[in-house]
Amino acid sequence: MAALTEQIALARSADAPARKTPGGIGDSLFRLASYGSALLVLLFLVGILGSIAYGGWPAFREFGPGFITSSAWNIGQEQYGAFVAIIGTIASAFLALLIGVPLSLGIAVYLTQLCPGWARKPVSMTIELLASVPSIIYGMWGLFIFAPLFASYVQIPVSSLVEGMPIVGTLFYARVPSGVGILTAGIILAIMIVPFVASITRDMLDQIPTVLRESAYGIGCTTWEVVRHVLVPQASVSIIGAIMLGLGRALGETMAVTFVIGNANRLSASVFDPGSTIASRIANEFNEADGMQLHALMALGCILFVVTFIVLIIARLLVRRVKVA
Amino acid sequence: MDSANPLTAPTVREAAPISASRVRSGRRVADKILVVASTVATLIGIVVLGSILLMLIVEGVKGFSPLLFTEPTPGPGSEGGGIANAILGSLVLTFIGIVIATPIGVLAGTYLAEYGRASKLADLIRFLNDILLSAPSILIGLFVYTLMVRTMGSYSGWAGGVALAIIATPVIVRTTEDMLRLVPSTLREAGAALGAPPSIVIKAITWRAASAGIVTGIILALARIAGETAPLLFTALNNNSWFSPNLMGGIPNLPVMIYQFALSPYPNWQQLAWAGALLITITILALSIVARFVIKSERAR
Amino acid sequence: MNAPTEITQAQLTGRHQADENAPIRIAVKDLNFYYGSFHGLKSVNLNFHDRQVTALIGPSGCGKSTLLRTFNRIYSLYPEQRAEGQIMLDGRNILDPRIDLNELRSKIGMVFQKPTPFPMSIYDNVAFGLRLYERLSKADLDIRVEESLRKAALWDEAKDKLKQSGMGLSGGQQQRLCIARTVAQRPEVILFDEPTSALDPISTGRIEELIEQLRSEFTIVIVTHNMQQAARISQFTAFMYLDELVEFGPTTRIFMNPEKRQTQDYITGRFG
Repeated sequence: MAALTEQIALARSADAPARKTPGGIGDSLFRLASYGSALLVLLFLVGILGSIAYGGWPAFREFGPGFITSSAWNIGQEQYGAFVAIIGTIASAFLALLIGVPLSLGIAVYLTQLCPGWARKPVSMTIELLASVPSIIYGMWGLFIFAPLFASYVQIPVSSLVEGMPIVGTLFYARVPSGVGILTAGIILAIMIVPFVASITRDMLDQIPTVLRESAYGIGCTTWEVVRHVLVPQASVSIIGAIMLGLGRALGETMAVTFVIGNANRLSASVFDPGSTIASRIANEFNEADGMQLHALMALGCILFVVTFIVLIIARLLVRRVKVA
Repeated sequence: MDSANPLTAPTVREAAPISASRVRSGRRVADKILVVASTVATLIGIVVLGSILLMLIVEGVKGFSPLLFTEPTPGPGSEGGGIANAILGSLVLTFIGIVIATPIGVLAGTYLAEYGRASKLADLIRFLNDILLSAPSILIGLFVYTLMVRTMGSYSGWAGGVALAIIATPVIVRTTEDMLRLVPSTLREAGAALGAPPSIVIKAITWRAASAGIVTGIILALARIAGETAPLLFTALNNNSWFSPNLMGGIPNLPVMIYQFALSPYPNWQQLAWAGALLITITILALSIVARFVIKSERAR
Repeated sequence: MNAPTEITQAQLTGRHQADENAPIRIAVKDLNFYYGSFHGLKSVNLNFHDRQVTALIGPSGCGKSTLLRTFNRIYSLYPEQRAEGQIMLDGRNILDPRIDLNELRSKIGMVFQKPTPFPMSIYDNVAFGLRLYERLSKADLDIRVEESLRKAALWDEAKDKLKQSGMGLSGGQQQRLCIARTVAQRPEVILFDEPTSALDPISTGRIEELIEQLRSEFTIVIVTHNMQQAARISQFTAFMYLDELVEFGPTTRIFMNPEKRQTQDYITGRFG
């Protein structure tokens, strides 16, 4: 290899003009800005927890663990307990899942297995649009349209039917059949979680390879058997994740529940009776609250945060990514 | 499926015993139930949306008048008035929210998709962002109340805007990241191969390639915060008059106005609440439909 | 590269004439490459001559693209990839961590397998790299854009739609747009990574003619899986196999009189 020929590669050649790199400080600034924005997202979550924990701390200190188990909520005597609100939250969310999950699975199965091709898009879109309706509109619908119908066609006949019966007579008896109450809240919440659970489930069912489905149909399975033995087992983890996501929404939903739950600090065994949830209690009382009541409401918020956080973490671990739209 | 025919069954050697047909009918029943139940479930969904829209149109149209857009909300028990102040207030609050959330959300999404990618920190932020996406909005109201209303000593439009921004941010982060990830890496390589530093590759090439998707995310965020009520209860509150330009004090806004008026005993207020509800729902549904179409065309590309 | 007889042989084929006395533009010494813990290139030694087309050939996965991607260090976009050894260009080792990557890449252009038009107008696509490194007046910029589009044989087709999106062009036109964009920066070396594998035969022919023309100004390295293409357009050929450089030399010699058995087998289609 002639040394001469290597001169361009090895020697700094004069004809190569030095080029100044663009960007420079702007480049690092941009990187820093995007890094900072990402940290801000983290900070939001820390801030939410921090501020609520800070605000609720005096209530936790004052009432200790009794705060969770006490059902007192007496503003005059400054006695506060979270029990009624916790039970109301759990009961309404549980009812929401009980009603909403079968509904969602049904819709997902309809959309993926039964729906004629031309109707798929409009029907899908209709279900997804349910997610866009503001929660306050669900509240109004629940209170002004659903509750009166529910009172006259369900609460009153069922109450008179079960009156005096053991257990069901307590569980399904409405002292005041106004249409509002824990079950009404559960039903409205069920409708609100349907678009989320249904669309995730639909996506999961869609992702299952067509071959699998076709081979099941090929050996003579009915739609039910394909769904029951092939599709659901394949997608079960994601479906549970979707359900947890729905649960997270149901636990924290505020406005719709505030309209239809009745907002009573009463512990009742009947699902027709009014109650309250953590979120509805905060929404109702926070603006007029002062002193220990404010701390107690913050403490309620703290409990809600921890519970939804855990539920959402589980959801997120089960469904790899949550869809936005 | 016609082997249940008693005339043909005996002639077939391998014909299953009678019990098989019983199983078959059970299978058929289960299948029928599934078909009926899932169809009914879908119908329920459609009927609910239809009935919500019907309710809003029937009740809302009654209250529609030009005064709605020119007069402020009336006092309790009085006649007339409109919701002009609440409409303007909502526009202002939503605008503040989206103006704060857009740069933060787009930059954070950019970090996750371009800089952080597989780093531990990016994984953590991605995870927490998804949780923030579904976090109860009322808790965000409590946070901003502590952060701003307490420290500033007054409810304000700024606090309301910040609360909405915190709700909008994770939506924008998420869609931005998703859309940037759809940009082929060869495009980034091509940009880098021309000697463009990362920030220029991102700003001039990847953002542009993903622009429709990012805009969709912003529209979705807009649709999400336009109807949010809970976080405004303790931050912007509400107000029955016009608001001062410095946005201090209670700022009238549609969602809280609807909440207060719908539950009030005054027919006039209830009428205005319905009109507001119709207005806000139509707006939000329109935004969602627009966003959906943009995102579909983007994903198809 | 020391037998004068091969030069004579190359001379016979006219355009394949390899100028072995041309100065060396890039000198690769003992280059090793790693994807994480996977050893992607094993001590490669190779020189690239100025204003010559060097083709990198070999079966898929042999490391030819990996080698190409070290010259502008595009691999450093991916943190798990790294290179060791020496690649000398303009008196500097470009693997040196102190090297300014952006400046390096402005001197070494790259054209990719699939056309990569940016989502902007044809004009802006070409001007993109120019605006980064040079402050030009509008008039000068116009001149440079036109000049680059002419060099890329795209001017006649594009001159009436400079403001239209580059995405609207056909695949072949898009690839020529990418070449124009690269040429506009007046790089010293242009790297082509299978530039015609996504194109139809007619577009491929135009790109090959273009590469032949560009040789008068630039040092060109092209990765190709198509041996006929390598034979048609290159002066030098490097055959790679299993992450190693097997043989390097003037294209005519590699194709007509390979020294190594593996090269012979590959060229005659016995494997790959």
